[in-house]
Amino acid sequence: MNAAGQLYANELELGAVLPVVLRHASRVQLFLYSAATWNPHRIHYDVDYARFEGHPDVIVHGPLQGAWLSQYVTEWAGPAGRMRSLQWQNRASALPEQDYEFHGRVTAIEGEFVTLEVWEQDRAGMVLMPGVAVVQLPLRSEG
Amino acid sequence: MGELLAAPVTVTVTAEGSQRYAQAVGDLNPIYFDEAAARAAGYRTLVVPPTYVAYALVQGRPLAGIGTDGLFGGEKSIRLEVARIMFGGEEWDFIAPVHVGDVVTGEARLTAIDQKDGSKGPFVRITREITYRTGDGEVVARTRQIGIAR
Repeated sequence: MNAAGQLYANELELGAVLPVVLRHASRVQLFLYSAATWNPHRIHYDVDYARFEGHPDVIVHGPLQGAWLSQYVTEWAGPAGRMRSLQWQNRASALPEQDYEFHGRVTAIEGEFVTLEVWEQDRAGMVLMPGVAVVQLPLRSEG
Repeated sequence: MGELLAAPVTVTVTAEGSQRYAQAVGDLNPIYFDEAAARAAGYRTLVVPPTYVAYALVQGRPLAGIGTDGLFGGEKSIRLEVARIMFGGEEWDFIAPVHVGDVVTGEARLTAIDQKDGSKGPFVRITREITYRTGDGEVVARTRQIGIAR
């Protein structure tokens, strides 16, 4: 969340770093996310089955981490911001009951359109989910 | 390629479904819960989390269709004999906001199947593109979902 209020595209600097946000999923949250999205895949709630598929534990849904990334970008952009695109790759599995960090930086600014490189990493710094977002922000008028 | 994976699905977006999703994600942005906050942010009424539209269109299915992995049987033309299927990522374009009460139609097409060599051996990448339109035919969002099969 940007406590200072709305961001403006013409007040941002290339390379600006977004505040780091920590996310953490409990097993209960995984269950509720499965229910809310009508997702019966056993790797998200059945530990024995997840191990059978070669996972160390049940795993956090890729799209749930994508939704966290979406929230990371939209909260940064503020109420007048509009996220125009978001892409991500789920490269490694995230586990419940562990903290993950969301990071981002501004890589391009063209008028109202701001491109962000964003990613999720574990506490050791391994990137699980790299992504790119384009956000439309208002312009602060001069004077 | 380009084949429709299933008949298009049309739903009316509900606050109940959107808010359950937002709560399950942990995204309590007031524009999803409080009409006044949504209007103050420039929307005509409550909006839904950007990625929710994909789940608004998920149809309940009979339990009899569920396989060992818990997944429902494969869609037409992507039934594969594989040990496991993973979600590989997604590429969204958000063209216009989706509001509670909007009637949205989603149409999924198979756009690519290719084999790749990864650090853990070869895998098959399946890309399906889903286009979401409102009742007047306006495209409001589009996503390319990547599935990884090993």
